[in-house]
Amino acid sequence: MIYGVSAIYSVFLWRKGFREDDRVNFSMLLLAGILHTTAMLKRGLGFDRCPVNNLYEATAFLLWTIVAAYLVVGAWPRLRFLGAFAAPLLFCVGVFAMMPGLDNPYGAHPEFRHDWVSLHAALVLLSYGAFGLGSVAGLMYLTQEHDLKFHKMRAIFSRLPPIQRLELVIQRLTITGFALLTAGLVVGAVWLALPAGVSYLDDPKVHWSILVWLLYLTLLIMNWRFAQGGRRFAWGAVGCFLFVLLTFWGVNLMSPIHH
Amino acid sequence: MAAAGFLSPIVDRRASFLTMPIVVIGLSHHTSPVELRERFAFAEAKIPEALQRLRSTGAADEAVILSTCNRVEIYAAMMQADRAAFQALQGFLVDWCNYRGPLNDEVYSLGEPQSIEHLFKVACGLDSMVLGETEILGQLKKAYELALQHKHTGGRLNKAFQKAFNVAKQIRTETNIQRGSVSVGSVAVELAEKIFSALQNRQVMVIGAGETSERTARALLSRGARSILVANRSYDRAQALAGELGGRAVPFDRWAAEFEKIDIVISSTAAPHFILDRVKLEPLMKLRKNRPLLLIDIAVPRDIEPEVNFLENVYLYNIDDLQAIADDYLQQRREEIARCQTIIREKASALLGADRRSGFAFGSSPAFGPERTSVQARPGSLNPGL
Repeated sequence: MIYGVSAIYSVFLWRKGFREDDRVNFSMLLLAGILHTTAMLKRGLGFDRCPVNNLYEATAFLLWTIVAAYLVVGAWPRLRFLGAFAAPLLFCVGVFAMMPGLDNPYGAHPEFRHDWVSLHAALVLLSYGAFGLGSVAGLMYLTQEHDLKFHKMRAIFSRLPPIQRLELVIQRLTITGFALLTAGLVVGAVWLALPAGVSYLDDPKVHWSILVWLLYLTLLIMNWRFAQGGRRFAWGAVGCFLFVLLTFWGVNLMSPIHH
Repeated sequence: MAAAGFLSPIVDRRASFLTMPIVVIGLSHHTSPVELRERFAFAEAKIPEALQRLRSTGAADEAVILSTCNRVEIYAAMMQADRAAFQALQGFLVDWCNYRGPLNDEVYSLGEPQSIEHLFKVACGLDSMVLGETEILGQLKKAYELALQHKHTGGRLNKAFQKAFNVAKQIRTETNIQRGSVSVGSVAVELAEKIFSALQNRQVMVIGAGETSERTARALLSRGARSILVANRSYDRAQALAGELGGRAVPFDRWAAEFEKIDIVISSTAAPHFILDRVKLEPLMKLRKNRPLLLIDIAVPRDIEPEVNFLENVYLYNIDDLQAIADDYLQQRREEIARCQTIIREKASALLGADRRSGFAFGSSPAFGPERTSVQARPGSLNPGL
C-alpha cells in the first residue's frame, strides 16, 4: 500500500523535477521498509528458516533488498531523489509478488536445495537486478534528456547526474547483467541434471530466457557496433526490463522445471 | 573588594568597546552613478593610510573601508554615533577623496541595528547589483583582513564581521539566494555540466568572435574545458581571440572540418542566414559517432537552424533560451529575499543582544538614531547610467 502511495507521490516529484531532498517520500519508503522487514522476520521466524523458498518469497526478498539499498543511500539527502525512481519499481514488483500461484506451500526442504540450482538461480536473479537498475538509470536518462531537449527549467534544477554519465551507468549495468545472465544460463544448461522425461527444449522458461538473452545481446551490439547510444539505448534498457518484468512470473508458472 | 577594584578597569574597558555602536556610511550603485562612485573609490594601497587618518582624527575608534566598483563604505565603531559623528565621517570621506561637488541623497549613513543588518546584507550579496552574487563576500573579507592586519579593528568590528561571514555561509546553505546562474555565460556552463560527465576533456568551438561568445568561452574554460577553437570571418581577430583564450584559430571556411572533435559550439556570427542547418549537421553527427553536442547560438539573427534540435544527441539553446533560464534563476533569488531578511534580522538582533549582555550597561542605544539619508534596497531606482 505504502509503496503504491509513494509511487503516486513520485509522479509529482517527477513533475517538479527532483529539486529538493524529498523527506516525505523517504519517510514513506522508510515506513514501508520497516513493515516489510517486520513481515519478513515474522514469516522467517514462523517457518524457522530464511524466507526465500518460493517465487513469492524470492520476489519479496528482492523487494526488501531494493528498499534497504535505497534507505541506506537515502541517508545522504542529495541522493533521496532516487526514491522517485525506486518507488514505482518497488510498487510494480510488489504487485507481481501478490499474483496468485506464487506463494506455494513448501515441505521440509527449501526448493533451492542443490548447490548448482542455488548458483543458477542466484546468478540469474542478480542479472535481473542489474537489468532493473539499468532500466532505472534509463528512466533517469530519458527524463533528463527530455527536459534538456525541450528547455525545461527543471533540467538544470534537477539533482539528476549528467546524461553522459547516466548513459555510461546504463551501459555498465547492462553488460554486468548480461554477463551474469550468460553465466547463470550456462550453469543451468551444463551442470543441472533434469528429472527423467523432462527436456529443456520443451520448457517455455528456457525459450523465454534465450529470448531475453538475445534481446540484451542485440541491445549491446547496437550500442557497441552501430553507435546507437543515448535515447535509443535508454529506451532499449527500459523496454527490455519491462518485458522481463511483465513476463517473468507468467513464464515461471508455465514452466514445469521452474515452477 | 580588592579583587573587584582590580578588575573594574578591565571590565570598564571591555564594557566600553562593547557599547560602541557600529555605523556605516557610504554610497553604492543603488544611490549613485558610476561617475560619482569612481570619485570616492579608495585605491587598495591607500586604504591603510586612510584608516590611520580616520582614526587619528577621532572620527572612529575602529574602522573598515570597503571599496569595490559598486560601493564605497566605511564601517566604523565609535563612542557616540550622533549627527556630529556622522558628519565627521562624511567630512573625512569628502576630504580624503577631495570631492567638491554637491551631495544630497547619494551618501547614506546607518546606525544600529540597520548598520549591522546592512553589513550582513552586503556579505550575503543581497545588496549587490547581481542579487546573491558571491564576489562581494571575498571583497568584504579582504577589506576586513586589511583593516585587521593594520590593527584598525577592535572587539566590536571583529565580532560583527565574523558574524557577517557566518551569516553569509548560513544563508548560502539554507536558502536559494545564491543558487543558479544569472548570466548567459554561466547558464551555458550549467547546461554543459548537465550533459557531459566532466568538462575537463571537452573541446569548445567559438564561431564568430563576439563579446558574449568570448565571455561564455571563458566561463567554460574556467570550469576546465580542454581547449578552444576559434573560427571568425576575420582570421586576424580569430587569432587574437584564440591567443587570449589559449586556443587555436581555424579559417572560417574550414570550421566544419574540425567538427568531429567538438563537444560544445558557441556561435555568434553576424551572418544573415543559418550557418549550420540540419542537412549539414546530420552527416557530421555520424562522424562524431552520435556523441552529445551542445550548441549555443547567441547570434541575432540566429546562426543555427532550430530544426537541428530534433536530431538525436543534439541540444540547441539560443540567446532567448539562455536568458529565460537566467531570468528564472533571478526570479527565484528574488523570492528568497524575504527568507534571507528574516535570518539577517534574527542574527543582527542576536548579535546586538549578546553584546548588550556582555556590555552590562549597554541599555538603550546611545544618542543616535538610524540616520538614513537613503535606502539601500531600491533596485527600481537604479541609475540608468549604471
